[in-house]
Amino acid sequence: MARNISRREALKYSAATGAMATGLAGVPRLVAAADPLKVGIVYVSPISEIGWTKQHSLGAEAIADTFGERASITAIDNVWDPQAGERVFAELASTGHGLVFGTSFSHSTPIQKTAPRFPDVAFEHCSGLKHSRNLGTFEAKYYEGTYLAGIAGGHVTESKKLGFIGGFPIPDIVGPGNAMLLGAQSVDPSITCSVIFLNSWFDPAKEKEATAALVAQGCDVICSMTDTATGVQVAEQNGAWSIGYASDMRQFGPTKNLTSFMLDWTSVYVGAARDVLDGTWTSKVRWQGVKEGVVTMSPYNDQLPAGVIDQLTVAEAAIKDGSLHPYRGELRDQQGNVRVAEGSRLSDPDIRGFNWFVEGMVGNLEG
Amino acid sequence: MTPRLELRGITKTFPGVLANDNVSLAVMPGEIHAVLGENGAGKSTLMKIIYGALSADEGEIRWNGELVRIPSPTAARHLGIGMVYQHFSLFETVSVAENIAVAVDEPFDLPAISARVRELSERYGMPLDPDRLLHHLSVGERQRVEIVRCLLQRPTLLVLDEPTSVLTPQAARSLFETLRVIAAEGCSLLYISHKLEEIRELCDTATILRAGAVAGTADPKTTSPAKLAALMVGSALPETHREPARPDPTPRLEVRGLDAAAEDPFGTDLEDVSLAVHAGEIVGIAGVSGNGQAELAALLSGERTLSADDDALRLDGEPIGRLDAGARRRRGLAFIPEDRLGRGVVPLMSLRENVVLTAHARGGMVRGGMVRRDRADAYARRVIDRFDVRCTGTGAVARALSGGNLQKFIVGREMELAPRVLVVSQPTWGLDVAAAAFIRQSLIDLSRAGAAVLVISEELDELLEICDRIAVLYRGRLSEGRNRGEVTVEELGLMMAGGSAAAGATEPAGPAAGRTGS
Amino acid sequence: MRLQFEPRPTPSLAAQVLAPIAAFALTVVFGSIFFLVLDLDPFETLHVFLVRPLSSANGVSEWLLKASPLILIGLGLAIGFRANVWNIGAEGMFICGAIAAGWFALAFGDGDHAWLLPLMALAGIAGGMAWASVPAFLKVRFGTNEILVTLMLNYVAVLLLGYLVRGPWRDPFGFNFPQTALFGPSALFDPLVGVYRVNTSIFITLVAVGIAWLFVQHTFTSYRMTVGGAAPAAARFAGFRDSHSVWLGLLAGGGCAGLAGMMEVAGPLGQLTGHISPGYGFAAIIVAFIGRLHPFGIVLGGLLLSLLYMGGESAQIMLRLPAALTRTFQGALLFFLLAADFLIYYRPRRVGRR
Repeated sequence: MARNISRREALKYSAATGAMATGLAGVPRLVAAADPLKVGIVYVSPISEIGWTKQHSLGAEAIADTFGERASITAIDNVWDPQAGERVFAELASTGHGLVFGTSFSHSTPIQKTAPRFPDVAFEHCSGLKHSRNLGTFEAKYYEGTYLAGIAGGHVTESKKLGFIGGFPIPDIVGPGNAMLLGAQSVDPSITCSVIFLNSWFDPAKEKEATAALVAQGCDVICSMTDTATGVQVAEQNGAWSIGYASDMRQFGPTKNLTSFMLDWTSVYVGAARDVLDGTWTSKVRWQGVKEGVVTMSPYNDQLPAGVIDQLTVAEAAIKDGSLHPYRGELRDQQGNVRVAEGSRLSDPDIRGFNWFVEGMVGNLEG
Repeated sequence: MTPRLELRGITKTFPGVLANDNVSLAVMPGEIHAVLGENGAGKSTLMKIIYGALSADEGEIRWNGELVRIPSPTAARHLGIGMVYQHFSLFETVSVAENIAVAVDEPFDLPAISARVRELSERYGMPLDPDRLLHHLSVGERQRVEIVRCLLQRPTLLVLDEPTSVLTPQAARSLFETLRVIAAEGCSLLYISHKLEEIRELCDTATILRAGAVAGTADPKTTSPAKLAALMVGSALPETHREPARPDPTPRLEVRGLDAAAEDPFGTDLEDVSLAVHAGEIVGIAGVSGNGQAELAALLSGERTLSADDDALRLDGEPIGRLDAGARRRRGLAFIPEDRLGRGVVPLMSLRENVVLTAHARGGMVRGGMVRRDRADAYARRVIDRFDVRCTGTGAVARALSGGNLQKFIVGREMELAPRVLVVSQPTWGLDVAAAAFIRQSLIDLSRAGAAVLVISEELDELLEICDRIAVLYRGRLSEGRNRGEVTVEELGLMMAGGSAAAGATEPAGPAAGRTGS
Repeated sequence: MRLQFEPRPTPSLAAQVLAPIAAFALTVVFGSIFFLVLDLDPFETLHVFLVRPLSSANGVSEWLLKASPLILIGLGLAIGFRANVWNIGAEGMFICGAIAAGWFALAFGDGDHAWLLPLMALAGIAGGMAWASVPAFLKVRFGTNEILVTLMLNYVAVLLLGYLVRGPWRDPFGFNFPQTALFGPSALFDPLVGVYRVNTSIFITLVAVGIAWLFVQHTFTSYRMTVGGAAPAAARFAGFRDSHSVWLGLLAGGGCAGLAGMMEVAGPLGQLTGHISPGYGFAAIIVAFIGRLHPFGIVLGGLLLSLLYMGGESAQIMLRLPAALTRTFQGALLFFLLAADFLIYYRPRRVGRR
């Protein structure tokens, strides 16, 4: 049973995951094909017009558009507590859904416990760090987006202080926060970044307070990695620059939104559905970024000087061809210790397990 | 002459109760007409029908000879009917004039209203200052506010529901003067009461109701009280029998110099209250409600306790001030509160469950932390049998009992404890004549059997009937006790009004008067 | 003429039986109209709501799993409610019970200890009671309002739990997610049947129902508390002390909620996270009142609320109904139930204006 897996085993598991992150993983085995296919999707927050959950719902729409009558979608939103999570996953799996998506790190334990109970159902878990025979994972290289946005922020900041808001201090939030500062520091090494964690993916009230607090501390570029556009909105109201996440958030910050790093999961969703329909689905670990088009940048703010935009275009191309890596050395941590030497870069397993802040980050991981 | 108001065949049914059964009566202009009857005889229902608060199922109402419908109190007021309820509906924190202004159906013009209040109060001998705030007023003065409010509408029929129940005998007499003046000007009065004496003094005609129907019509001035009572009760009035008291020389219950500030902000502080009750006697405490009775009862019962070093209360010489009601009961002090439902019993609990409230220790109803229902049931059955409680059995819910039967149950429950001291507050409030007589006799019997009994009551007649000594509570101070036979109604009435000779002018204080100066 | 409600002289026995049936019938009628307006087949929708969740073994398992803590907490709260002790803090007590039990699980969970689960249960009870003793003490000593204190302490408990799972108790291998390590097998209840989530802790709830019934129906302590709740003046008249009722009412609520918290973390959760209660402490208040504060009624109330909750999810899954609509239907049933209960004690009467 899933819950009897000790954490030590889990650690080994995740290390292995990291090592195999870019390739196929797990023991290939086909799950039962079904046609028409019922696809179940569990969202962590309410479906709104914009943001994280919206981008996932676009994936669901893409399945519907691509396969028409061959696929039907069942979506359940606002599932964040683990008791409900496990029940909902089981409910979907036991009601004829051949493919079930979990869309949050918060779904980790529930989906990992549920998957072994339904060996004939294909589970796909976004932000998941553990995969198994019928549980695949997919994740984006957010840090490529935040690095680019950070370069833009580095050019516009006057206070030399950025602000970063995250849902939880998990590696996939901590890392992108670091990358944003590294991008800015590539413009001016004296720039710092203050961090606040909300301990919720969806809490607009708390997020509003956090944004206002960062602005009050003098941060003039704000990036918020949660499921809402609140950060962009409040920054706009307070005259601070903002960086949007998941969707193009210009409409919430018409004058001060620098750019948004956007997520496009449609290829993952359509691909998984196609594989299940074809009977060729196997559990995979996908970790994709700018190069694969999973992470894209929305149009840059036209108040940025043309030279900066050119520089950003070059940087984006360099990330795409691999010649520029956001986590290249030398990287120091908050205490000034060298963690990555000049000439090398942070390894993939370390990126997926990022649990320290680079020099210049102000804050801690206690949340 | 055409009657001002004529009712013909009024019938009103409530679920399970025939409240008015083919009632007819006629009130002539300028007549003071009594509606006499026991509690529950249907008087209040009839008045509500006349005032439009209820509508009759059958029958007709004629006003100055014309057939009318009275769908609402507003309609009644428009006809010229005014109503003075037994319980006032006044606002405590505003002035007399404002209270009146909001209640009359005319523009809100305070100076004009004040002027008319002054004029009316002088004309009818009812001193009233329109600018005083209501919470400074005594009960009698509040009643004047209600009456003046009605008179402002120039009624031609004024209905008064038990108006003297809150007044001292002197204040009642001054009210009668006023009512006579009003009647002399041609206004008819419909006077509801169950007190024979005052009807004989005031009224021209009496319609007597019994069990919802008219039992007879009489001229009260020429009909004997016994005849009126017989019409009202349906049989001869029961009488209580008492032997002379032979009290013990040492007091059972003793109060010495008790001072206590009221817990309720509108309550009355007790000052230097002393009294002693001996085994074998009944002591009465008279007074108009709101003069500290509630506070004294709570302190005696143990519902409110004194600090440990205060030994103002003693039972058989032992200080009991810091003991709660349960502990005092275990020492032999039983108490019957004036509020029956909610204090004397738990309304939604059965009689069987309600005996556990006070009799659990004595009746051995608890063993190993568990309630022994059989014991409770047997106890309840004994109470029901011995005190003739009419109910469906020990499982009957307390709230389902009539007032008289409930009081019999409570009295019986406490008497079955064989208390050494019994404190009882308003023992017969709202009860019919037979039940009241039964309870009074029970109290006498208990005292003669060797218990010390203290009765707190607003009904002077009752105290004079059963008590061996009577003291008067006024503004939190208790007078010396006076022996029965050595004190008259007049004297007690004066003491209830604070001892002043001009009883009509300085009458007893309202609930707040003991604390707030004006 | 208008409608007024007056108390019935005796609560009608027929009404007590008919009330829930009438409420259910009204809900069905309301639901049918509601669903028709939404262009849904009423029969199918009601079926999905009320029947389908229980039509599989997994469904029954989930049903009992969710009902169990609701019932247990409701039993404890009802003891306080009968005495007019308004404990709104079961959520916090649930969390504190889970924290106390969780400490033992984390400390000893890796070993094979038969005593660990009983110890955790005791710790859960103690944790809930400790949390409940704060409002009890404050009310008895200073006369504070227990509604406010218990409500506020919920937030304190949530923050305390958040601090622990983000700070000292955070799973070192959990990618900084605010949760503890998974408990070892000896700190977990065994599943009742196969792969289903319902576990042996359900027997604890069953035993608690029996104890609560015995307490409520037969003990003098419960009698005193009930008098204090139904008629405080009568309790003073009888000489029953308020402070005992306050302490016992709150401790009963706290103990039950704490134990339920332990059962949750040692059951379906298997670890402490920042959100261990999906509002059980608040939902149990509704359960207690649906059950008319009677232990057997609370069992039915807990099962009903659990079913409604699952029915809502089921409707979301099967009929793609938005959550807001499913909650409207759930709300309607609860409303009709409580309204029908009102009619047991009060009857409508038409009166003239006054």
